[in-house]
Amino acid sequence: MISIRDRARGCLLGLAAGDALGAPAENLTPEAIAARWGVLSEIEGGGTDDTEYTIFVAGLLVRHGHALTSEDIERAWRTEIVDRVDGSMRGAGFSELGTVRALRRGLRPPLTGRWHRHGWSDGLAMRAAPYGIFAAGDPAEAARLAEADGRVSHTGEGILGGRAVAAAVAVAMTGAAPSEVAQAALEAVPEDSWTGRNLRAALAVAAAHGQENGQGFARALHDAVVGAHYPWTDLAPEAVALALAAYVRGGGQVEASVVTAANLGRDADTTAAIAGALAGAGRGEAAVPERWVRRIGPVEGRCLPAVAGRHVRDVADELVEGT
Amino acid sequence: MPWGEGGRPDRVRGAFAGLAIGDAAGWPSGRHRSVRLAAWSRRLHRELDAFAEEHQVTSLPVPFALNQPVEPLALGPSDDAEWLAWTALTIRQDRAEAFGRLAGRADVRARISVWAALDNLAAGKRPPASGHDNPHHFDDAAAVRAVAFGAAGEDPGDDARVTNAGDGVLGAVAVAAAVSALASGVPMGEAVDAAVAALPEDTAIGYAARAALAAAGKAGDPFAAVPALDAAVLDHVYSYGTAAAETVPVALALADAAVREWGPGGAAFGAGVSAAACLASAADSAPALTGALLGCAAGHEALPEGWRASARVLTGCCLPELAGTDLLDVAGSLA
Repeated sequence: MISIRDRARGCLLGLAAGDALGAPAENLTPEAIAARWGVLSEIEGGGTDDTEYTIFVAGLLVRHGHALTSEDIERAWRTEIVDRVDGSMRGAGFSELGTVRALRRGLRPPLTGRWHRHGWSDGLAMRAAPYGIFAAGDPAEAARLAEADGRVSHTGEGILGGRAVAAAVAVAMTGAAPSEVAQAALEAVPEDSWTGRNLRAALAVAAAHGQENGQGFARALHDAVVGAHYPWTDLAPEAVALALAAYVRGGGQVEASVVTAANLGRDADTTAAIAGALAGAGRGEAAVPERWVRRIGPVEGRCLPAVAGRHVRDVADELVEGT
Repeated sequence: MPWGEGGRPDRVRGAFAGLAIGDAAGWPSGRHRSVRLAAWSRRLHRELDAFAEEHQVTSLPVPFALNQPVEPLALGPSDDAEWLAWTALTIRQDRAEAFGRLAGRADVRARISVWAALDNLAAGKRPPASGHDNPHHFDDAAAVRAVAFGAAGEDPGDDARVTNAGDGVLGAVAVAAAVSALASGVPMGEAVDAAVAALPEDTAIGYAARAALAAAGKAGDPFAAVPALDAAVLDHVYSYGTAAAETVPVALALADAAVREWGPGGAAFGAGVSAAACLASAADSAPALTGALLGCAAGHEALPEGWRASARVLTGCCLPELAGTDLLDVAGSLA
């Protein structure tokens, strides 16, 4: 029997491992990754914004619990992020600086998430796992909390991506099969949405290529959900679909899910982090490869100075104590 | 001829010519038009950019014509004028079908929203998903095309939803509302009010339009409003400057400021378009949209003659079949 604490630790260790494993593959094609590494399966360096923003969100949940509102999150952005941005922001995406600029302009949610151009980014999806841990077994509540967060920095499909990941983690925290976890992601978004359409397309590819080795799966998945005429890779409808497909194809095993996601390229640190969060929640701390866990120390606060020194294992324990 | 005497046909021609002149006035026009040169010359341009960066050279390269005809690099219209002409020429066709005929063509150049929509159509997606499942659903491709719908007095929605969603569709609705009013002889202030009324306050484009009008109104004439518009509307965070929430508010605010200062004629046109061209990050389409509004208000005959001549013939830099097309003839079909 895997305890909730084990699952919470597995979730955030899986997330941190995916973040670190995927980081050097970000923005590469599956073919370029194969040419460089064969299969990318060993962590080379540290984690990135995915882990640090996840820790930031977890702290808010511990403080506010189910009463967490968009106003609480807006206040935290102002005091813990905006006020500490001195010159350049490091390691974040367009949506984060766009939100900082909107907040400095004096805008309030939801306009802060609508003002900038990257409302659909995967910046909410990448930090939504703690909502699923906190609301384990209650995907609707996890999605509601993620949406409250997303209203500050995202809009439209960016919020849906966060809802999908939060709901999926909430169900993974019960030990449910990957197919049920994927179903929870689908049920957290409208059927008539980009995220919904991409999730269905990606899961169909995962089902059709389940037994196949090599590049066929990656290429088919890219053809299904990756656009040809846009250069940036941080679209939530794409990243969430890639992550869920990798997790399902990996059978919910931590190493298989994370390695599959990282080797798909695109926003590889985020997609591997999401796949790792789902698989780690399902299989628990002991299922995260020991050689990866050894590489995960306290975060340095490179992206978010406010979380420097925090370790995801402690954050997971605090989240469980807070429920 | 004094302002307004040419009636509706002159104002419709003014909207088209005004858009093409604004399109020509913005610095990206030369880059778009350089597509008519051999690909290797643009590769050399990229290498010169890298050279300037590497060697800390402030002599920045411009499109150039080594062993090439120089005509594409002369002052002239580019992407926005061509997409407007294509829209006017296909305006009686089902919009998804008209775009569908472009999908799969290797010789088309288009904004990201349009390319994503063409890919979606080719994959079997229909509007509005073709415009919604689209990383640039917010851009102003449909707002530019909406000049044709406004000139024809028709709803731009079905066209806009093929390639755009959210602010991208709202931008088209606002531009069509303004052009439709101006083509009917409504004064600029009322036309701008009609456009802003179509933009909900809780959207980025609605908030920005009101902020832009307030900033430009406070600054006075269009050129004086440039720094205030830069601060109020342009965020400088994102890598592309064609967001409808930036360019449409700039165009509405500068057109309004220009007519307040100069009245609705050639002087206002020049002041508004010049100011829009000064907003470098928005200079691909803000001058074109500003020119469409002010050109429609002024009428074609009131626009500066040299500019009318320079911006009249399309070069085919986005849709090669339009090379040599006379934009005034196209406008005449809707006038």
